[in-house]
Amino acid sequence: MAQVMMKDLNKKYDEVHAVKDVNLHIRDKEFVVLVGPSGCGKSTTLRMVAGLEEITSGEITIGDRIVNDLPPKDRDIAMVFQNYALYPHMTVYDNMAFGLKMRKFPKPEIQKRVQDAAEILGIQELLKRKPRQLSGGQRQRVAVGRAIVRHPQVFLFDEPLSNLDAKLRVQMRVELKRLHDRLETTAVYVTHDQVEAMTLGDRVVVMKDGWIQQVGEPLDLYSRPANKFVAGFIGSPAMNFIDVSLSDAGGLWAEGQGLRVKVAPAHATRLSAYKGQKVTLGLRPEDLRVASGGDPAEYTIDAVVDVVEPLGSEILLDLRAGQTTLVARVEPAVRAKVHETIKFALVPDRARFFDTKTELAI
Amino acid sequence: MSARRLRHGALLLLAAVYSLFPIYFITVQSLKTPHEDVFGSPLWLADPDFENYTALFEGAEARVRGFVIIPRVPFLAWLANSALVLVGSLALTLGAAVPAAYALGRLRPPGWRACRRVLFASYAVPQTILFIPLYQVIVRLGLDDSHAALVLIYSMMALPFCVWILSAYYRHLPREIEESALVEGATPVRAFLRVVLPMSRNVLVAAALFTLGTVGNDFMLASIFLLDPEKQTVAAGLGVMDVSLEELVAVAGVNLAAIPVVAVCALFARTYVRGLTAAMLEGA
Amino acid sequence: MAPAGALVLGILAYPVAWEIWASLTDFSSRAEGGPVFVGLANYGRLLGDTWFWKALATTLGYLAVTTTAKLVLGVGMALLLARPSRLRALVFLAVFLPWAYPGGITVIAWYWMLNPPLITSYSVFMGNVKHAVDGVLGAGAWAFLSVMLFNVWRGGSFTAVFLLAGLNAIPTELFEYARLESRSAWQRFRAVTLPLLAPYMALAVFLSFTTAFADLGNVWMLTGGRIIFPVVGTYAYWLAVKSGQLAEAATWTLALVPLLALGLVVLFRWFDPHEETPA
Repeated sequence: MAQVMMKDLNKKYDEVHAVKDVNLHIRDKEFVVLVGPSGCGKSTTLRMVAGLEEITSGEITIGDRIVNDLPPKDRDIAMVFQNYALYPHMTVYDNMAFGLKMRKFPKPEIQKRVQDAAEILGIQELLKRKPRQLSGGQRQRVAVGRAIVRHPQVFLFDEPLSNLDAKLRVQMRVELKRLHDRLETTAVYVTHDQVEAMTLGDRVVVMKDGWIQQVGEPLDLYSRPANKFVAGFIGSPAMNFIDVSLSDAGGLWAEGQGLRVKVAPAHATRLSAYKGQKVTLGLRPEDLRVASGGDPAEYTIDAVVDVVEPLGSEILLDLRAGQTTLVARVEPAVRAKVHETIKFALVPDRARFFDTKTELAI
Repeated sequence: MSARRLRHGALLLLAAVYSLFPIYFITVQSLKTPHEDVFGSPLWLADPDFENYTALFEGAEARVRGFVIIPRVPFLAWLANSALVLVGSLALTLGAAVPAAYALGRLRPPGWRACRRVLFASYAVPQTILFIPLYQVIVRLGLDDSHAALVLIYSMMALPFCVWILSAYYRHLPREIEESALVEGATPVRAFLRVVLPMSRNVLVAAALFTLGTVGNDFMLASIFLLDPEKQTVAAGLGVMDVSLEELVAVAGVNLAAIPVVAVCALFARTYVRGLTAAMLEGA
Repeated sequence: MAPAGALVLGILAYPVAWEIWASLTDFSSRAEGGPVFVGLANYGRLLGDTWFWKALATTLGYLAVTTTAKLVLGVGMALLLARPSRLRALVFLAVFLPWAYPGGITVIAWYWMLNPPLITSYSVFMGNVKHAVDGVLGAGAWAFLSVMLFNVWRGGSFTAVFLLAGLNAIPTELFEYARLESRSAWQRFRAVTLPLLAPYMALAVFLSFTTAFADLGNVWMLTGGRIIFPVVGTYAYWLAVKSGQLAEAATWTLALVPLLALGLVVLFRWFDPHEETPA
């Protein structure tokens, strides 16, 4: 069991600066997910922790050892790869026993550990097969089992679920979470899928262009995104952004792109410094609902329905409002027709504002 | 880490020197004057002399040097012959290998694996040892002293490998690739020519270079089947020169003939590896 | 399929059949009258011939030594080239060169360099080497060894490039996982690299056999039979060309085929395995 610390971590390739000044403290037993679009540096960061990439500058500590100069095999970590990295010439048993054999564990010990792991993952019947004979989900389990048998201080996962189909992915996601609760091993998990990040992570690290954008618990990221990027990345469908300018006309009003709404009093003090300037207004699709008579007019938007996406448990509406487009997520009971004009009410307190230039949350 | 990198660099250099030294060595010898050949150092040149090279082109007629009659060296004719045989072999090999590989790898008729194995098993027969009956075949076909004989034999030698890698590649090519072309209205033949063939470019290059290597590696068959000096390939022509004790001229000829081959190989070396890799993905 | 099959098998069929037929007769270009069918007599004689066993041993030794050397060099150079480095592109070309250099004629140059027929600056040195080697291994050993060196030099290059392609075809995670889990590079090499490369190595080995024969043939032809070391292949030429004993020559030639075929069957298991069906 161990904590992982990254201090001023940098990775430069010849022309690319892949990881920039990453500082991160992963606590003992914590499940931390690194998430971001491809090329954001999340995998490179993980691979530096594993020792598969050289560290350009900075420091990585696992437990209480600085591991910069330790080869991967001495870092007491286990890694699960996207393509599982199972050896085609070995049986499942031999694949799972590989790390232990290499470390010259006594045979009975290896046998016991492999059996235990196989039992946890429900793959006892597969031990004699070759990876070629397994389905995607089974291979995935073997790859995880291979990590478990080592009883490492830290698990590293590099997009382990992205080769599975949607249904299996959801199932494995739950299993991984259960597994972590049971084993209580520190885990660092890399994915590009924000749903995976939100469901699995005790804390989530959002990265972009090599920089950490925000670190926080999933719901914090959702409700208090640090900047426009995080706001747009977390949550599906993504947050709507509207460029507006702030003016004072009996309270603070946001106006732009053919829309005009009032700023909730809760935000007004913070925003008063931006009076007369341009900011970006962020509205989550779930914070737009069909207005009823009782809704105050200053918090409503008129929009024309473009596309209706009925998902069953909810309906997504693609809307045209002023000169911009919005997405709203509404109750399944709403009967909206294409080209119909509907009045939407927003939840004033949940509106987000971002500095248009720096994109930071205000 | 840097010590390891240094060691890696040193080993790389060693591999390069090991690979290049023999070529360097023969080149040095071929550039020597007779005097330096005897009294100089074998490892470097004091006074490079291209006489051995120019001799290749002057020697269109027999001439006399000292007490030795130097035979005709129609080097340019040899080069042309080699090129002809090479082009013929390439055309025949690829022309036969591609449809065969496609049939085996894609259409997978029953027993395709056995077919491929039998084809490959022809390597178990040391062709070079079979030249007496082979010669009878060639005479029977009326191809003696003809370049066509070599084209046939070289193609036969290169084919199994080419079929092997091409069929391995076609076997793992997603079917959707042709299917989308078929849906777009192409005929199967067109789909193959316009879509599959261009996609297998790298593998084709690998097959072609292997054929080139096979053709380039032969001396014996060429010298058996081509008797007329004017019709000989570079290998066969230069090979007989040892009798005239002109081995340095022969070496010069080797180098000259190697230049275009090496240039082509250098140009396609990366593609060659990529092609082989493409064929090897998901198992040979 | 048909044209390729016809080309390979068609051209080979007659010679093979002829060799088989000849080996069952007393066919000789010197004998009066036509060949007479003698059944397996030639084979019987062959098996009783100590010279044959010696030649067979030499041949197998030649194949074993050159193939092993090519594999060792090939694997080594392929691994060197697989690792990223600034020198890599250039060294790759250098390693590629011995194979690209047209072997049929380079072997000529090579042979005369190692066995200089005329007085040159290093012929004394080479002469000493030749005497030393021949002294230990018997007359003709140096000439033979020089062919082996050539075969290894050129074949090693082919094997290296071939295996490099093989390494590239193996997913990198397999090697990365090994780096995480194994204690030493040697362990990694034995447990992971070698088994993963094995199918490609098997293929390379078989191709190596064919060039090994071709190189011997080239030099034998080139030197007018000056390879006097008894090797099954060259001795067969000798019998056929120099003394016209075509029946014996055929017998000698064919004696190798079962061995090579056996090798092929073993190697097929490696490089053309029947895929197990997924569960």
